[in-house]
Amino acid sequence: MINDAKRVVKKGENMDIGALLLEAASLMLTGMVGVFAFLSILIFAVSKLSLIAGGDEPAKPQRQPTKRPASTGVSNAHIAAISAAIAQYRSK
Amino acid sequence: MDGLLNLWQATGLANFTVPALVMMAVGCGLLYLAIAKGFEPLLLVPIGFGAILTNIPVAGLAEPGGLLYYVYYIGIDSGVFPLLIFMGVGAMTDFSALIANPRMLLLGAAAQFGIFATLFGAIALNFVPGFEFTLQDASAIAIIGGADGPTAIFLASKLAPELLGAIAVAAYSYMALVPIIQPPIMRALTSEEDRKIEMPQLRHVTKREKIIFPLAVLGLAIMFLPSASPLVGMFCLGNLMRECGVVDRLSNTAQNELINIVTIFLGLAVGSKLSATEFLTVETLGILVLGALAFSIGTASGVFMAKIMNKFSKHPINPLVGAAGVSAVPMAARVVNKVGLENNPHNFLLMHAMGPNVAGVLGSAVAAGILLALVG
Repeated sequence: MINDAKRVVKKGENMDIGALLLEAASLMLTGMVGVFAFLSILIFAVSKLSLIAGGDEPAKPQRQPTKRPASTGVSNAHIAAISAAIAQYRSK
Repeated sequence: MDGLLNLWQATGLANFTVPALVMMAVGCGLLYLAIAKGFEPLLLVPIGFGAILTNIPVAGLAEPGGLLYYVYYIGIDSGVFPLLIFMGVGAMTDFSALIANPRMLLLGAAAQFGIFATLFGAIALNFVPGFEFTLQDASAIAIIGGADGPTAIFLASKLAPELLGAIAVAAYSYMALVPIIQPPIMRALTSEEDRKIEMPQLRHVTKREKIIFPLAVLGLAIMFLPSASPLVGMFCLGNLMRECGVVDRLSNTAQNELINIVTIFLGLAVGSKLSATEFLTVETLGILVLGALAFSIGTASGVFMAKIMNKFSKHPINPLVGAAGVSAVPMAARVVNKVGLENNPHNFLLMHAMGPNVAGVLGSAVAAGILLALVG
């Protein structure tokens, strides 16, 4: 009798957990869909952002025309290597 | 004689209990990890010390009337401290790598699978006798996978305050362990050729784009996910102060003095939740295991997403950068850079990994907002 009662309780608990698991699974699905949807919209917004606000900034290049040759003299690859090296040094 | 007896009754020695001593040892352990091993010292020092203070017998620092009780009540129960920290993090974050390559947001989204898979795992743990996690508890535990301290504390304070101590300790410990947890997973899921992939130089991002970006993010949060707007809003405020260039004083305060002050009290308040009755439970063990699981799954799903994107993208994408999708800024990006250099000494992935890394911060804030909206 007691064993039976225990089994019933245990079964009831398991069913509870089963329902919770189902809820957790649906939360997992809605959650991931939600995160992807939100960030996809953000991707769209950011790619439009470059159309609106990208391109040349009007005031800056005129202010320091003398500096431009110096900055174009360094290749992008060099800048990348130097900045990565600095970052790596700082991370130590 | 009575006086002497009363004095003895008022000493710590007469009132020590074993669980309190164990918790003091845990506090000392956290201090050791912070001071000797350099694990997240800014947080683990106040948390560890707070744990010691909390468990002092008789003094009752974490009970109503005690200092730590009020620090917790004012700062964490209200949700204020994590949000102030988030403002400071926003003021420290440079989004240009993400604006230059917005598709990296997908990696930040994929890595949040660690959160939702762990939610499932936490509920499944209920089959083990001794565990009784509700959906709220499970959500608060799962957010450890977001690898974002303030977000985890914010969500835990709203959904499962009694588990907050264990969740915060797990989140910060695993964030410190990112360089140990992530590389084996990254190596196991990628081939050597994958890891050697070099990515094209990122384009220049204008100041105007950087100013509009936080406003755009906030606009989307307002429209689609208002429950995430406390986190996203404070983050965007900090970022706007940084990028707009006219309030450098405020930006500097947010990312230095203010965040430091709040960090001290946040740590103490988390420490106040490390009392023996709340921490020395089988649930804490479960939380530690689930936290590690959440980090690993997040890392793996980020790498998988990056592999898929590499297949369909015009420009090559190194799958390693996917691992940076679990926020933990900037530690995860540095780990990516390090693993990348092991296979190709000319391959500097740091800037490329910063994109998914900051996307991970946004992703975990969004995931927190979704959890708040659905189970809060």
